[in-house]
Amino acid sequence: MADHLFEELQAPNLYFDRGHEIEAAKILPGEYYATARDMMLVTVLGSCVCACIRDRELGIGGMNHFMLPDGGMDQGDILGESARYGTYAMEILINQLLKMGAKRGNLEAKVFGGAAVLRGFMVANVGERNAQFVLKFLKTENIPVAAQDLRDIHPRKVYFFPKTGRVRVKKLRQVHNDTVINRESEYKARLRYAKVEGELELFD
Amino acid sequence: MNKAITELVQGVDNLITLPDVFVRINRLVEDANSNMADIAKVAGQDPSFSMRLLRVANSTFYGFPSTIDTIPKAVSIIGTSQIRSLALATSVASSFEGLPNSLVSMGNFWRHSLYCAIAARILCKQAHKCDPDAVFTAALLHDIGELVIFNRMPQQAKEVLYLVLDSADELPVYLAERQIMGFDHAQVGGELARQWQLPPMLVECIECHHDIRSAQHFPRETALVHIANSLALMAETQTLDQKDVSPIDQLAWQIVGLDAGQVIPAVVGEAQEMIAEAEKLFIGK
Repeated sequence: MADHLFEELQAPNLYFDRGHEIEAAKILPGEYYATARDMMLVTVLGSCVCACIRDRELGIGGMNHFMLPDGGMDQGDILGESARYGTYAMEILINQLLKMGAKRGNLEAKVFGGAAVLRGFMVANVGERNAQFVLKFLKTENIPVAAQDLRDIHPRKVYFFPKTGRVRVKKLRQVHNDTVINRESEYKARLRYAKVEGELELFD
Repeated sequence: MNKAITELVQGVDNLITLPDVFVRINRLVEDANSNMADIAKVAGQDPSFSMRLLRVANSTFYGFPSTIDTIPKAVSIIGTSQIRSLALATSVASSFEGLPNSLVSMGNFWRHSLYCAIAARILCKQAHKCDPDAVFTAALLHDIGELVIFNRMPQQAKEVLYLVLDSADELPVYLAERQIMGFDHAQVGGELARQWQLPPMLVECIECHHDIRSAQHFPRETALVHIANSLALMAETQTLDQKDVSPIDQLAWQIVGLDAGQVIPAVVGEAQEMIAEAEKLFIGK
């Protein structure tokens, strides 16, 4: 089958990873990527979460990376305003997988992130909400969770091999906390801005 | 010496000052005509240092059977050269408050340094032939060059941090620094220690902790700090797998005469148990 049917996704940085000798995609906050090829998808998570979803029969899989925007009163409510963005981030990945030929009934997920990352001596904990959301979403959608590594206090680097479903998670040292937090804060600010401007099309 | 490094360090010269009590004790320790009483007198003249010294002396770090309630007693039991190390160790974190940055919080920075210091001290006691307090201080200071880089070159430092974060095959920070800036934090820290006229052992440990084969005078202490740095990362990220942290040069184990498999789990575990108390004693949190 031609490759183009299986590619065309959002923005990631593709590169050849010499360490693993495999084509790789780096997924930044707010991005996702799906592929049917033998690849490695890599992301770094603090309080954000990522879902690695794949068709366990066909080996078509993808990864997203998101957090819920601040939602005022509706925090934790799966139908609330801020959860709508999470739902969007999950659905856009799942829809892409289905478009590429994955079968809904074959989907399984592995989820990571949602850490209460320490900033100096303070804890920045928005991770819990993200962790709860992603588990709740998958339950509602009947997608089994094959593995999870959520919460805790360490930022994580996640390597996902969609072809085989293998995942490697590496906890990162604390001096990287601030770098991770800073990048996620920039992403969070973008989300807030997008909402105010009404640029974010939900349930498109 | 690289001109860029010298200039970088000269640029922070007036922002960080070594604590007066360390400078004075250092002078006395180097002076063959001084005695214990002189050192106790200088230590006693600084009330805040006196308090910190007694707290450390009575902590589980030393585990002395009897209470140490006076400075002269602390100096005689702990030792003059060790008091000098403590004068630096208990104040270095506050000295660097004059060098803030927006990239890495001081809390996270010093926690790693302290893990390294604790691990180095435990390793040192097992390896013998070194002064555990001096090695502790060397390890506590091993990354000070990073604080200079973060403060003076924030844009490049940010590039380095992102490069390390996103590199799939775990590019070490010092190699990313060399790639982006042409030098690394160990060199910067070594130069800062030299300009401060710190004891040569500290200078070499700081300068060579990623490159132990360049350590010419204190290979043993340098090897201890090098190993402790990786064990500190294990303690922080709760792993015992060496593949998860920056690699340890096999030569380091040979130099110190310890067996990796035998010491790693115990040292990492002990460091994890001690970190909370150490933060109170040395970082003042």
